[in-house]
Amino acid sequence: MFASRFAPALRALPRQASAVRMARRGYAEAADGKLQLSLVLPHQSLYSSAGVIQVNIPAATGDMGILANHVPSVEALRAGVVEVIEENGQAGKKWFVSSGFATVHANNTLTINAVEAYPLDTFSAENIRSGLADANRVLSSSAPESEKAEARIEVEVYEGLQAALAK
Amino acid sequence: MSSTWREFMSWNKYTQIASRALRQALTETDRVAAEKRAAIGVRYQLWENGQSGEQNYVVPPAKESGSGTPPV
Repeated sequence: MFASRFAPALRALPRQASAVRMARRGYAEAADGKLQLSLVLPHQSLYSSAGVIQVNIPAATGDMGILANHVPSVEALRAGVVEVIEENGQAGKKWFVSSGFATVHANNTLTINAVEAYPLDTFSAENIRSGLADANRVLSSSAPESEKAEARIEVEVYEGLQAALAK
Repeated sequence: MSSTWREFMSWNKYTQIASRALRQALTETDRVAAEKRAAIGVRYQLWENGQSGEQNYVVPPAKESGSGTPPV
C-alpha cells in the first residue's frame, strides 16, 4: 500500500524535474555559456553578438569585469581600456575607448556603445605627450572654469592613455 | 577628483571632447581617417508659408569643397 502510493509520486517526479530544468534555461543562453558581446562604434561594429568569456570595462564608477549571466546593469564609461577575453586562457584583446555606455541585458548579452575605440598600437606617445602638455597649460592658465573643465576631460583621456600604454 | 564637467556641459558634449582628444593622440595615418569620419557638418534652412529660406551652415566650413555637391 505504501509502495503503491509512493510509486505514482516517483513516476511524476522525473517529469517535474525536467520541466523545471527546461524553464530555467534562458532564451538567448548559448549552449556554451558564453556572454554575447556587441561592441559597436558609429562607424564600425567590432563585435556583433559574439560569444566571449569576459569583458573588462572602464566604468565611470570604477573598473568592472563582466562575465556570463551578469546582473542587468547600465554603466557609463570613462576614457579607458576595454579588454575582451574570447576564450579561456587567451590574452585579452584591448581597445582604448573614449566614452560610451555598457549595458548588460537580462538575456546574457552585453552591449557596449562607444564613440571612438582604437587598439593600443595605433597611438603615438609623442602626440599624447603634447596633448597632455596643452591641456595642462590651459589648466594652469587663468581661463574660465568651463574651459578648464574641458581641459580636465582631455587630461583624463591622455593620462589614461599613458597608463594603458605603459602596461 | 570629482568630475566637474557636469556643471558645465551635457554628457554628449563630454563625449565629443573626450573623442576629439583621443583622435588627436592617434598616429598620423589613423588620425587622418578618424578626423574625416568625425567631421560633422550641419546645415539648416528656415521655411515660411511653404517657402524655403536660404540654406546656412551652423559652422561655416573652412574650405570650399570643389564639387559643390551638398553633404548627405
